[in-house]
Amino acid sequence: MKIKKHVFVRLADTSVILGQRLAEMCSNGPTLEEDIALSNISLDLFGRADELYKIVAKLEGDKFTPDDYVFRRNEREYYNIKLVEQPNEDFAWVIARQFLHDVYAREVFTQLSSSKNADLAGISQKVLKEIKYSYVHSKDWMNRLGLGTEESNTRLQKALDHLMKYVDELFAFDELDKTYLADCEKLKSIWFKEVDEVLLESNLKRNPFPPLSMRDYRDGFHSEHMGHLLSIMQYLPRAYPDAKW
Amino acid sequence: MVIQKEFGHLWEILSEIPDPEIPVINLVELGVIRKIEESIEPEKITVTVTPTYTGCPAKKLFNDLILEKLAEHGFHKVEIISQNFPVWTTDWLSEETKAKLLKEGISPPTIGDKIIPCPRCKSTDTKMVSAFGSTPCQSLYTCNNCQEPFNYFKCY
Repeated sequence: MKIKKHVFVRLADTSVILGQRLAEMCSNGPTLEEDIALSNISLDLFGRADELYKIVAKLEGDKFTPDDYVFRRNEREYYNIKLVEQPNEDFAWVIARQFLHDVYAREVFTQLSSSKNADLAGISQKVLKEIKYSYVHSKDWMNRLGLGTEESNTRLQKALDHLMKYVDELFAFDELDKTYLADCEKLKSIWFKEVDEVLLESNLKRNPFPPLSMRDYRDGFHSEHMGHLLSIMQYLPRAYPDAKW
Repeated sequence: MVIQKEFGHLWEILSEIPDPEIPVINLVELGVIRKIEESIEPEKITVTVTPTYTGCPAKKLFNDLILEKLAEHGFHKVEIISQNFPVWTTDWLSEETKAKLLKEGISPPTIGDKIIPCPRCKSTDTKMVSAFGSTPCQSLYTCNNCQEPFNYFKCY
């Protein structure tokens, strides 16, 4: 299933894939409250993706539904940032991934909220209200794990060292990004400033890593984890096409 | 935002639909029904709905409940328009609605999430247990005075 490259698709794919990762945590959270929190945030992400896919569907002449986009595209037809497809190795990975994403998504939707496209501006304003809760939650856990025990700090640092490799591509903006985002440089500088501040106060570091040869998510490239994620997420509609509840 | 009051009887009919998750208030009180209009097509009405949260599981249920209720009263040609803008806000809950929530044991939204009274003893000496609660729109709190655990309707 071909989909036109579009900023909405990037945003929607990023939301749905992160939503799926968090949904995997449902009944696997460290405490009941945490389980509920992660499931709630997952729900927000699915809702966000649904609204964004509706805009995509409208642009493409209503040929497909949001479900079609989610369940009938292959790996290379997905345009999510690689950060969000990284697995739930442990709770520290979940939190680090969420925090890095939340700061990024908040800044992206802040810029989109003044977009000339009324649909996009509307949904962005809505998303900003919801993201606030996710951000407070993930930042709080960054502090708690970073300043917790030696074990929690070590694990969170390990998660960060892995996830940071997938951050560069967020800011390798192309022409398409630039037509929607008002100020790409500002987005990047705010992100690094804020992430560095939180890492510093949490006794964590942004460690350097050797240069990687990884192709950009904007061209539909992924890490090795994406195929596994899709194989679970898409299993039912693939095995039983057009199955209904 | 002022809710238009034409189609008074239709507003009344839709006020009979309880919120699926918080049945003590109805969909009109919740502020999700924004507009009821006559369509260009004869005898057809359009209802404009603004969802509370993008991921609200009741989003689709709202539409089904509205269609069902209107059909019960003989309105079969109904179109539901989903409108995200202006964004739904807890400011649309009236004081009366908030009082109903409090009576039901849900502390109503307050500006900036600042003063959160306990629905049981009305003490404002309360603390958050978890920002995420039983529904996407609520947080878990507990009262420091009477130890009552309760839900707080988040301010959006």
